[in-house]
Amino acid sequence: MTDDKDVLRDVWFGRIPTCFTLYQDEITEREAEPYYLLLPRVSYLTLVTDKVKKHFQKVMRQEDISEIWFEYEGTPLKWHYPIGLLFDLLASSSALPWNITVHFKSFPEKDLLHCPSKDVIEAHFMSCVKEADALKHKSQVINEMQKKDHKQLWMGLQNDRFDQFWAINRKLMEYPAEENGFRYIPFRIYQTTTERPFIQKLFRPVSTDGQLHTLGDLLKEVCPSAVAPEVPNTVLPGEAKIEPTFEPSRIAGGRKASLAVKCWASQGPSRVFIARKKFHWFRTKLKQQVFRAGVQKFQL
Amino acid sequence: MAEEQESTLLLPPSTAPEAEVPAEVSPETATPEPPSSAAVSPGTEEPVGDTKKKIDILLKAVGDTPIMKTKKWAVERTRTIQGLIDFIKKFLKLVASEQLFIYVNQSFAPSPDQEVGTLYECFGSDGKLVLHYCKSQAWG
Repeated sequence: MTDDKDVLRDVWFGRIPTCFTLYQDEITEREAEPYYLLLPRVSYLTLVTDKVKKHFQKVMRQEDISEIWFEYEGTPLKWHYPIGLLFDLLASSSALPWNITVHFKSFPEKDLLHCPSKDVIEAHFMSCVKEADALKHKSQVINEMQKKDHKQLWMGLQNDRFDQFWAINRKLMEYPAEENGFRYIPFRIYQTTTERPFIQKLFRPVSTDGQLHTLGDLLKEVCPSAVAPEVPNTVLPGEAKIEPTFEPSRIAGGRKASLAVKCWASQGPSRVFIARKKFHWFRTKLKQQVFRAGVQKFQL
Repeated sequence: MAEEQESTLLLPPSTAPEAEVPAEVSPETATPEPPSSAAVSPGTEEPVGDTKKKIDILLKAVGDTPIMKTKKWAVERTRTIQGLIDFIKKFLKLVASEQLFIYVNQSFAPSPDQEVGTLYECFGSDGKLVLHYCKSQAWG
């Protein structure tokens, strides 16, 4: 994985410039200014918005405050989905900054899970990692780790510490030399065009005749509606263009794709499918977005 | 029989399941292929009606958690883990404030909004999905 290090860093340090605005019907003692923040794509909303909460609570009375929740254009944002996924799915075709509305009342029970503490986020994150390892290594690697290793993984994410995180995560990304890859690849495909929450299936990294599977193979197999190989330059819903023959690395439309392939692979929330030799991989165009938005406005 | 099970799962909180427990549900004749050994190979088309079919779930109690009289259930694929938790709590007559955790492979607790159909596809074996349930956190 060391030769992929710059990709890993790009994924980890991806940021989305966001403007938080208090919902107009919230009761305030004085005007609430919007709050700007660069959100880490790989993290979770309730993990990184303490400052947002404090900012708005300063102008509200205690009795008007209950559990915070976030919404974008009327859609409650699931905190247990990675930030980058939420953005790609809902807002990637809109101009930056990402405008999120903050609520402290009328928690939408049907749409959102409660997040009473950071422990809940940690439990969710660790469960995802464990589920991924169940697919990759029959849980052998994660189970062989000590509790402190699990803790280090979480602390790395919580404190935005790339090296701390990857010191442990690299073990979850290894496989025996005699194998060609993981047992199954942990992936989830999210689309706005369907009722289903996501597509998740068993998928081997290598075909029965020893060929390494590509991202294109995966999509063709589990999400055939997203690709139309017979028609040249087919434009997908959401204007993402994919070359019909899936030639290397040209999955364009990092911003515009409504098909957000979340490849988990125990990075936890990672949108980039990490390549190994014949695998495809694609980057988000995030860095350019940040510069265009005018970085001065945003804090890390 | 299967219908009875399904309607029990859909009952609102006010209707508590009584002592009359339907007998063990037998798997439907058209059981999906055991997914654990089936690697997805290119060209395999998934039957369109698949999402309508039910899957078999086997519930196992952990620790001193009460054991359910009926352990095997046919459940719709789109049923969520939260739906299953609510059902088990009602069935075991647990108080709403009591917690219940569900585990897959005795290793991870899926998110409450996860669909059992997806879990069955990825972690089922021998035509069923085995889930362990516990009143306390068993596998962290």
